[in-house]
Amino acid sequence: MARMKFICDAERCIECNGCVTACKNEHDVPWGVNRRRVVTLNDGIVGAERSISVACMHCSDAPCKAVCPVNCFYTTDDGVVLHDKDLCIGCGYCFYACPFGAPQFPQAGAFGLRGKMDKCTFCAGGPEKDTSKAETEKYGRNRLAEGKLPACAEMCSTKALLAGDGDVLSDIYRERVMRRGRGGDLWGHATAYGVKASAAPAPVQPAPTQQKS
Amino acid sequence: MMNPKFLLALGAVFLVAACGEKPQTVAVKPGQSAAKPDDKPYQNDQFKGDRAAWERTLRARADNQNEYKRVN
Repeated sequence: MARMKFICDAERCIECNGCVTACKNEHDVPWGVNRRRVVTLNDGIVGAERSISVACMHCSDAPCKAVCPVNCFYTTDDGVVLHDKDLCIGCGYCFYACPFGAPQFPQAGAFGLRGKMDKCTFCAGGPEKDTSKAETEKYGRNRLAEGKLPACAEMCSTKALLAGDGDVLSDIYRERVMRRGRGGDLWGHATAYGVKASAAPAPVQPAPTQQKS
Repeated sequence: MMNPKFLLALGAVFLVAACGEKPQTVAVKPGQSAAKPDDKPYQNDQFKGDRAAWERTLRARADNQNEYKRVN
């Protein structure tokens, strides 16, 4: 079974914002909402500056899903975290919970009133009939149902941003790291998809305390 | 003096005013999504419910992101 993931290779990202533009164009995302952003790390430090493309990472144990008061989130069989805009009340809890700043809120009126949350759908639409007008208007284009990968990754010129089945992405990334001999760290990967039990540090055992008799 | 028929119609309108309202309460159950059921991405004319064919198509596209395979 496929488990959809995003990987952003900081060694390759050239901050061209092609992914941001592709996403905006593909889904007609409204002004002020950015489902995907390019972030610069270690800005200005020579030799250490890196750029990464950030959007919803479709976490294995999604914190947005845990805090939603109306339970509008769901995870598909392929590990894509989606939400039902008909249920969303725009409370913003998911925004505070998300470590990637993925949930976005369009301004719905005067005095900073928030509209329904909008975020990356992994180009998988939402809970409407696939490729229907309602789905496209609410969630954007459903490329996954067309047998295509997210537009951002397919548009990436340096292939810094990869999308697809986690196993395939691991193979691609492993080969890259082996060939170039560096840059094996994946920003946000452990946060989104967890750390393997073998790689995680052993839990610290509390020292046995002696009870006073 | 107002027409009694008009008054009757007006009263009827007020009486049935709430009939078109949909319930807005969300039955939230912890750990269970309240979202509407979603279609599977392979249940369409292109893949005809064949999950394996859909996965193969996506895998081929994902593999195509590996330029080492494309170039060499």
